[in-house]
Amino acid sequence: MKTYSETLYDSYGQEFAVDKVYFENKTDHQHLIIFENAKFGRVMALDGIIQTTEADEFIYHEMLTHVPLMAHGKVKRVLIIGGGDGGMLREVCKHDSVEHITQVEIDAQVVEMCKEYLPNHSAGAYDDPRVNIVIDDGINFVRECKDRFDVIISDSTDPIGPGDVLFTSVFYENCKRCLNEGGILVTQNGVAYMQLDEVTTTAKRLQPYFADRSFYCAAVPTYIGGVMTFAWASDDLALRGLSTETIAERFAVANIKCRYYNPAIHTASFALPQYILDALAENA
Amino acid sequence: MNHLTVESTDKAEFYQQMAQQHGTPLLILDCDQLVKQFNVLTEALPGVELYYAIKALPHPAAIQTLDVLGAGFDIASSGEIELIREQGASARHTIHTHPIKRDSDIRDALRFGCTTFVVDNIWELEKFVEYRHRVGLLVRVSFPNPNTKIDLSRKFGCREDEVSMLIQKAQSLGLHVKGLSFHAGSQCPDSRNHVHAVEQCAKIIDDVYQNSGKLLSVLDIGGGFPVEYIESVMDIESFCAPIRLALKNLPDHLQIIAEPGRYLCAPAMTSVSSVMGKAKRGDTCWYYLDDGVYGSYSGQLFDHVTYPLTLYSDIKENEMAVLAGPTCDSIDVIAEQVSISPLSIGDLVVGHQMGAYTSATSTNFNLFDKAKIVVINQAVKTVKNVLQFGKN
Repeated sequence: MKTYSETLYDSYGQEFAVDKVYFENKTDHQHLIIFENAKFGRVMALDGIIQTTEADEFIYHEMLTHVPLMAHGKVKRVLIIGGGDGGMLREVCKHDSVEHITQVEIDAQVVEMCKEYLPNHSAGAYDDPRVNIVIDDGINFVRECKDRFDVIISDSTDPIGPGDVLFTSVFYENCKRCLNEGGILVTQNGVAYMQLDEVTTTAKRLQPYFADRSFYCAAVPTYIGGVMTFAWASDDLALRGLSTETIAERFAVANIKCRYYNPAIHTASFALPQYILDALAENA
Repeated sequence: MNHLTVESTDKAEFYQQMAQQHGTPLLILDCDQLVKQFNVLTEALPGVELYYAIKALPHPAAIQTLDVLGAGFDIASSGEIELIREQGASARHTIHTHPIKRDSDIRDALRFGCTTFVVDNIWELEKFVEYRHRVGLLVRVSFPNPNTKIDLSRKFGCREDEVSMLIQKAQSLGLHVKGLSFHAGSQCPDSRNHVHAVEQCAKIIDDVYQNSGKLLSVLDIGGGFPVEYIESVMDIESFCAPIRLALKNLPDHLQIIAEPGRYLCAPAMTSVSSVMGKAKRGDTCWYYLDDGVYGSYSGQLFDHVTYPLTLYSDIKENEMAVLAGPTCDSIDVIAEQVSISPLSIGDLVVGHQMGAYTSATSTNFNLFDKAKIVVINQAVKTVKNVLQFGKN
């Protein structure tokens, strides 16, 4: 039997049975593979790390999209950094109130490959007339960008590798500049139990630019080791503390169908485990 | 083995055929020899996981052959990682053994999926703080060996009395040290230094546990297993017997790994060069071969090895001769003042035991092409050569 072993940690890891390989590329000093697994459907891994699977991607994409969009309440313009698989775009496109979406992907081939091998991720979202796809490094884009957005979603890879610049102070500073007043930046920020440093580092780096910095959580089965954290940054302190009732009213108006996200999850996701709070306090 | 053997020309048939087909200079890589060496060493060191030190012969066929046998790989640079990646070997079965690394080296290894690294000093430990949740470290300890040709404990390795300090430092930085490693030397005449190192490491591992409760679970006993060039060496069974005995006394939980390079690949490659010119200088006949110390015979300089050579001639009388390489440098001499049968232009010179640190360190000085490597007896490539799957 063929297997794929994740190599994220030296002393712990997950292994997948590989039923069929759809795509594999070992050029450009990286290893990308998309294969079929009985439990998770199509699985995409880059450099030994699981990026996304068909079965559990909804948790990740719904939480990075609907939490900031519902909290903001009047989002018209959204910027997605990364997210070449199209899952984030699909979720953002569910919001009829959104007028414009710019997605910045570093590699055009990733988009084409995901359309072909992970078609359920984008589910046609790339054809939405509101979408503008830019092929550029995310850090370059935000540096040069003159447009403004209500929500920026950073859907990056692991900080070791091509996504490392999306975890820098320079990136956060420029995201701040690209946000309208009351805008929100959210980012993928790793599994806190396994990589607590990522949480404390991001908190420190966001601090100079945003009045309110925090994290919210969701457990994504194939991002193993506990809950995944998403960084939250905004100048509007009220947005993080909205009541479940307020979110529920907005959610009802938006009329969006979700499989993980709901108004109760929304407010609950901002509750952080004590070990994260302690680490943040220690490193404040 | 003799330094220089003359055999009758009918014995040269295979090499002549190869030379005709591929041209010279040539290196013939026989995968059957790799398999044999791997099996012999595995038998001599039961329970020890072998990680092939690919620096000795970083060739795709060698890696593929050993991968299929279940070997892991000892890698030391991003270039070596790239080669392993291309062959589809499992990253889980690699260890990065270079004690000194740049941040980019660490990142390349992590991106590949190698999470075991070697350190021997505080500055190196500090480089891993950023990756502390992802890596397991081995502390390399120095056990100087005055009896070996190549002492690998001078440039790298901390002193025995520094180990516990390094482990404490690692713990204070949140880093996981999972074991110790040492290199008893290369091409060791006997295994006394291995045994000494194993015994000392056992003491250190016990002390660390007693003093700090830190459990070390891996001992990397390095390489140093000798192969026969000119001088005869201890056979591998006799060499490993005392090591086996020393390993028996270690606690059961300890996993033992080794990093053989030379032992696995040296006998697997044979050099075929041809005489491209000759000159009579005084009483000595100079033969200029198309391979020399800047090429496949580079190990005569860097690896301090003289290779056994075979010439083919049916003429019985001998004369004094020098076998020189093709470059313009006068250091480029393979054999000085040897008494051999006269050779003609086009005659072949065959070098044996030329798998380790030969092509790996060859140059193309003077812009002479490096010897072409021709692979023979390679088993059919398996699916593992195509996909990066875990071992099953």
